[in-house]
Amino acid sequence: MTDAARASAVRLSGIVKRFPGVVANDGVDFEAAEGEVHALLGENGAGKSTLSNILTGLYRPDEGEIRLYGEPVSFASPRDALDARICMVHQHFRLVEPFTVAENVILGDHRGEGRKFLVHPSRIERRVAELGERYRIQVDPEARVWQLSLGEQQRVEILKALYRDARILILDEPTAVLTPQEAESLFATLRVMAGEGRTVIFISHKLHEVKAVSDRVTVLRAGKTIATVDTADATPRSLASLMVGREVAAVERQEHEDVRGEPVLEVADLWAVGDRGGDAVRGVDLTVRAGEIVAIAGVAGNGQRELAETITGMRPPSRGSVAVAGRTLRGGDAREAIRAGIAHVPEDRLHTGVAPSLSIASNVVLKSYRDAIASAGPLLRLRAIRDFAASLIARYDVRGGGPDAPARLLSGGNLQKVVLAREFSGEPRVLVVASPTRGLDVAAIETVHGYLRDAAARGVGVLLISEDLDEILALADRIAVLYEGRVVGERDAETATVEDLGLLMAGGEAAA
Amino acid sequence: MIRVERRLRQPWWLTIVVPVGSLVVAAGVMSLVLLATHHAPGPTFRRLFDAAFVGQDDLNNTIVSATPLIFTGLCAAVAFRMQLFNIGGEGQLYAGSITGALAGLLLGEHSGWLSVPLMIVFGALGGAALALIPGILRAWFSTSEIITSLMLNYVLALVLNYLIFDSHSYFRDLSPEAATFPQGKILPAAASWPTFDLGGIVLPFGFLAGIVLALVVWVLYQRTRFGFEVQVIGDSPRAARYAGMRTRRKILAVLALSGLLAGLGGASQTGDFRHVLDPRGLPAGNYGYTGIVVAALARYNPFAIVVVAFLLGGLQNAGYTLQGADFPSGLVGVMQGVILFCALGSELLVRYRVRFPRLRPAEAAA
Amino acid sequence: MILAAGINNSILVVVLASAVVYGTPLLFAALGELLAERSGVLNLGVEGMMLVGAVMGFWAVQRTGNLGLAVLVAAVAGAAMAAIHAFLVITLRANQIVSGLALTIFAGAAGLSSYLGNDLNLADEPARRSFGAVFPHGWQTLPVVGPIVFQNTWLVYGSWICVVLIALYLTRTRLGLNVRAVGESPAAADAMGINVAAYRYAHTLVGGAFAGVGGACFSLAITPQWVAGLTEGAGWIAIALVIFAFWRPALCLVGAYFFGAFSDLSSVLQARGVTIAPEFFQALPYVMTVVVLVAVSGAGARRRLGAPGALGRPYVREER
Repeated sequence: MTDAARASAVRLSGIVKRFPGVVANDGVDFEAAEGEVHALLGENGAGKSTLSNILTGLYRPDEGEIRLYGEPVSFASPRDALDARICMVHQHFRLVEPFTVAENVILGDHRGEGRKFLVHPSRIERRVAELGERYRIQVDPEARVWQLSLGEQQRVEILKALYRDARILILDEPTAVLTPQEAESLFATLRVMAGEGRTVIFISHKLHEVKAVSDRVTVLRAGKTIATVDTADATPRSLASLMVGREVAAVERQEHEDVRGEPVLEVADLWAVGDRGGDAVRGVDLTVRAGEIVAIAGVAGNGQRELAETITGMRPPSRGSVAVAGRTLRGGDAREAIRAGIAHVPEDRLHTGVAPSLSIASNVVLKSYRDAIASAGPLLRLRAIRDFAASLIARYDVRGGGPDAPARLLSGGNLQKVVLAREFSGEPRVLVVASPTRGLDVAAIETVHGYLRDAAARGVGVLLISEDLDEILALADRIAVLYEGRVVGERDAETATVEDLGLLMAGGEAAA
Repeated sequence: MIRVERRLRQPWWLTIVVPVGSLVVAAGVMSLVLLATHHAPGPTFRRLFDAAFVGQDDLNNTIVSATPLIFTGLCAAVAFRMQLFNIGGEGQLYAGSITGALAGLLLGEHSGWLSVPLMIVFGALGGAALALIPGILRAWFSTSEIITSLMLNYVLALVLNYLIFDSHSYFRDLSPEAATFPQGKILPAAASWPTFDLGGIVLPFGFLAGIVLALVVWVLYQRTRFGFEVQVIGDSPRAARYAGMRTRRKILAVLALSGLLAGLGGASQTGDFRHVLDPRGLPAGNYGYTGIVVAALARYNPFAIVVVAFLLGGLQNAGYTLQGADFPSGLVGVMQGVILFCALGSELLVRYRVRFPRLRPAEAAA
Repeated sequence: MILAAGINNSILVVVLASAVVYGTPLLFAALGELLAERSGVLNLGVEGMMLVGAVMGFWAVQRTGNLGLAVLVAAVAGAAMAAIHAFLVITLRANQIVSGLALTIFAGAAGLSSYLGNDLNLADEPARRSFGAVFPHGWQTLPVVGPIVFQNTWLVYGSWICVVLIALYLTRTRLGLNVRAVGESPAAADAMGINVAAYRYAHTLVGGAFAGVGGACFSLAITPQWVAGLTEGAGWIAIALVIFAFWRPALCLVGAYFFGAFSDLSSVLQARGVTIAPEFFQALPYVMTVVVLVAVSGAGARRRLGAPGALGRPYVREER
């Protein structure tokens, strides 16, 4: 497994890409060999996605050179990159939802079956089935994409790449939608592909994944290449310090005083309909006590968002009840839930958690604009609102803009601080947080985790919904696993294991 | 290769430079159109300007043309602020002029001071009621208000025709003199809205009411809880739902307000100017659609709407005055279109920065 | 022969025959709008594009006497109008609704079409040539099919061919698959190397060309002469028709004739002693479109029925 034995498949040197206000790639060097799985490791915002978008022709670099198998290339469009047999599985899938799997696979193909003026997606269904067989990724070629789970959709993306006989396959954070076991099986597929001489570039910020799947790792930080190391020589700890630029304590459980009190949130037999019709939440029972952090684990798309929305009144329940401190809510009314003391940090910070084009000042009173602090009768107290915002900005150390700056200009971490500041200012009894640290860098993650622990210590009941098992294991007192809208098992965090939770996340209670 | 980047911050001077620049470009394009059709641009512009803004009579006529545009401009703007596209200003204006005329006719000659306020109330209610149809459909069935409000314009235009040309309705003049050329009943004198003379400049009641309403809309949208909710819903409906705002009610309220404004414009047409339900003149004015142009040019700012309405009103008025062999009708519509195209195109410059990255740093610095 | 005349005089045949005549401009315009919308571009300027097509087509036939050329000129004129909209909404990312309305104001009955018509002195001129029936008289008097099928002009038969070609294009060809992808999910299409802007430009322009031909149906066949605003709102009905037909070409044909039937129904009935105000029938297409819109409004229903997912939304590659 030495580098010398392998020809270089892709070599990027001195790549610079600037965006308004940021230099996303600041002289990045990157090299991956034929037949290897090469991990691209970095924090959110380190420039990994930008680099892969350059490699797939979506962005043109401002400076720098791309060489493929020794030849310099320049991509004017994604089509050039596809022609060079570079394929990418984006974090947000690039699939046409009303199309069938086969239609998606053939889309944009201008060499095989898709070259012909008349297309016959049915003809490639067989080929798709064969590929699925060979790489052990089954998916029905005639199914419409919107009918598939996120995990299945990811398989469609990989099939698209295989159908094009990709020489270089880039996967951007592919495990977010998978159970640990499904991730294992993905890794196996990637190994097979590498064994055939293909190059797999695996983008991640999760150390153990990188360790598990890759041959070599290139670490990016703040738009620059920090190092390329053989995975065998690296430890998670050494990778972490390369990634963050300082020694970091591994995310660990911090024992906290048990202040668990009365139940503050009681969810009984809760059902709710999803956006596409059909039940997304199917009979959930949950209790959160004051001072307790209860986590909901699960693979993305198993009803987490709908559960959070139903508890917080954004989505009407079709059956069942939500009670706060013993008082049952009518349901389906976010204002009622807010008044009852439910705070909510939604999964989609930028478009749900705030009104992005409105000022930070407007956003800190998003829920309290009717209260005396923000309005007198029908009129707004603009000065009071501004002062209140300034005080929260100071207290929560929000950087990147004053009270009048539009919220969308804030970085993810600072935006999350604004959301948390607002939610805590309502002095809640219950805090529902969904994927609170997704897309944040390590420092911001630590800050957010600190706030959540503090809230629990103050006696707030915290319901943490997350797809990140590390986060859950570090924070939670109890863990409930959600699968297809149901709680399929509950574990005490002290004794839970990743394997056990993974099986539950795949829907298997047999493991218990 | 030109590159377009989103601006992080919008410098204040852009809000002045860009509209002025787009007007200059529009004038350039218009000159080309005129040259291509063998008209001299300079004199044409000059004549337009003179006919619109120079001389007392011209100015008075311009105010008459501008009045409905203030109402329909506000109508489009209040809805757009919440990302609702009420294209139905045209129909809502007809509705207001029908209900306004109804009030005027019903009360008759001897109503004293009562006619005018009741016409205003009826006109407002007529417009609001019509706008509530797309409002209810949007709020409860999430049907796009764009197409529904648009379709209702045509329905109302046909209603207008029907009332005067194809029925023996209450609005139609059924006297023998009007048998060959159908027309509406003339409203009683008591239903004429007052005017205010300002040194020879005649200000109709509707014009002044429009200016006051612009102020009211500004206060409502900038200074009240209602306006705050509208801003949030307009920016991010999901954030509004998350914050517990009553989005449905707000959709109804905003569309009703929008229709109300257009309806008032319609009542003003009947009360201020036409004194009759006029199925030819109202559609010919294109007030509803032009109102959308006004609102877009004013970037949905109520005060700017008054100014833009005055300018476009002048253009329309000049178009009517000059219409003839050497000044083909249609020219005003072309000019309005060109101005709007340029304004729309320049919007990009406000939101984005255009760069020419091929330039080397040295050249760019020079 | 007398029997045939009787049948052909029956109300159903008369109405169907007039439905085909008045439905044809709607059909052309709707097919054009359908192509643009399938690529994700909503163009509310149909009325304006039709009117400019009508005036330029009529001008061409007055100049050259060549009807084929006139149709071509109408198509080019419509496409030129659409090009303005395309540039504004695709390249400059302007709001599609406002831009479409601006196009209607610019080109419409009080704008360019009327300016051109007046400036070229086309008003009150009798047409030098106009489209007539294709088939011999004997065929036209055949019972039922005579008036409905054989009495028509090349424009009608051309529209039938267009329906078939567009339907096949969208469902069976590579380009059709691509354009549907562009309209549904431009990000996916872009990632697969499909040039989103090029597809949107092409379909918006072709859509404009169809609208131009639709307008020419009035000035070259139905009226046939030029008067300001001769389309009388057909462009708006065409926009409604695309929704009514769930974005499918074959249903556009059915819908166009259905709506076309109302155009003249009142006078047909009047001739038979039934007086119903023409406004009632003229309003029906608009009212029915609202009803259909409400019926298909649920997000799920919209998707199943074929509303392009990215309709009306500009596509910008993800920026940071």
